Amino acid sequence: MFKTTGFISFALRRFTGVVLVLYLMLHIWVIGAATQGAEAFNRRMEVFASPATHVLEIFLLAAVAYHAFDGIRLLLVNAFRVTGPRKSMWYAAFAVAALLTVIGGLPLLLYALGISY
Amino acid sequence: MTTNGHRKNATVWIQRFNPDFDRRPYLQPYSITARQGMTLLDALHEIKTHQDGSVTFRRSCRHAICGSCGMNVNGRNVLVCESPLKDHLDGKGRVTIRPLPFLPIIKDLVVDRAKFWEHYRQIKPWLLPPDDLPEREFRVSPEEVKALCNAEKCIMCGLCYSACQVVALNKGYIGPHALLKAFLRTLDPRDSAPGERLDIVADLTGVWRCHTIFNCIDACPKSLDPTYAIETLRNLAARRLAFEEERRERQARFGEPVEVGPPVRMEPTARVESPVQTGQRIT
Repeated sequence: MFKTTGFISFALRRFTGVVLVLYLMLHIWVIGAATQGAEAFNRRMEVFASPATHVLEIFLLAAVAYHAFDGIRLLLVNAFRVTGPRKSMWYAAFAVAALLTVIGGLPLLLYALGISY
Repeated sequence: MTTNGHRKNATVWIQRFNPDFDRRPYLQPYSITARQGMTLLDALHEIKTHQDGSVTFRRSCRHAICGSCGMNVNGRNVLVCESPLKDHLDGKGRVTIRPLPFLPIIKDLVVDRAKFWEHYRQIKPWLLPPDDLPEREFRVSPEEVKALCNAEKCIMCGLCYSACQVVALNKGYIGPHALLKAFLRTLDPRDSAPGERLDIVADLTGVWRCHTIFNCIDACPKSLDPTYAIETLRNLAARRLAFEEERRERQARFGEPVEVGPPVRMEPTARVESPVQTGQRIT
């Protein structure tokens, strides 16, 4: 196996892509209950109203952020054919995704732990 | 690892596999004395000559031109003839040599490249001159020559093909080596069938299958940039008819000053040169 930053970015991109598809299916399942009235929707939302789910939301945020910024990196490569700084661009995409995960994940974590801020 | 001046002991782990006897590949260690300036190919020769004549590998020119000695060393695809042994030894003086990944093993370090060549032939890598040859020379600008000459340096070693995870996942994908040659021939002003080649590469086994992993660039021993070639072909495939018309117009305006469109860049990528490549003295 030829392991490089390119391979790591590819593997993470595929993994986060699968995570997002699974989340989307779950999301449609929950939102779909809205057509059956407020009661049904609230009941379905309660399935996910646990601290563990809020922690999972942090991972979801990480997946969204990474997939989005790695995708932007590939769009730049595709549009401008910039292959020279490929590693720097990946590090930058990863860093921005990590930063957003920390910024967005902290309130989620505090909420999951029941700490008001 | 023991050191004595410019000599030190090294352990070379070689992946062995004889399809007549072995059920699966296994690693076998060989102890050798690493001498000053010894390459990985020298180490393999040392082992084959003095320890185990059954160790099988391909090699030919010993000057990184024939492309036959591509192997996977410590997880990276390299040409062993241009790779110094000392650069690949770990702290304990060990190095692991395996055959190129994702390709069927014939024996030990020799792989079957039939698929590699089959994909290469698919894009018609030869020049297809027009039926009505111009009376004088073709209009090829110095900028175009400069742009294409780097792609022409490809030695067909298969390192990029074997480093590409898309090749491993999709057996139909024609691979970065074929797409680099398609780029070369498509942009060659002497060629008459750029549209035909774009048709071949612009499908799901061609440029649209590439996932932009960049392994081909990292693996290339000649510092070429197949990803750039693939992105260019994607761009041209999207405006194929306009591209063919531009080509015809330029050839029709023979005699006028050469006008070149946006320059096609194909610069070598940044890469740390080994002393063997740069001809420096090894101290």
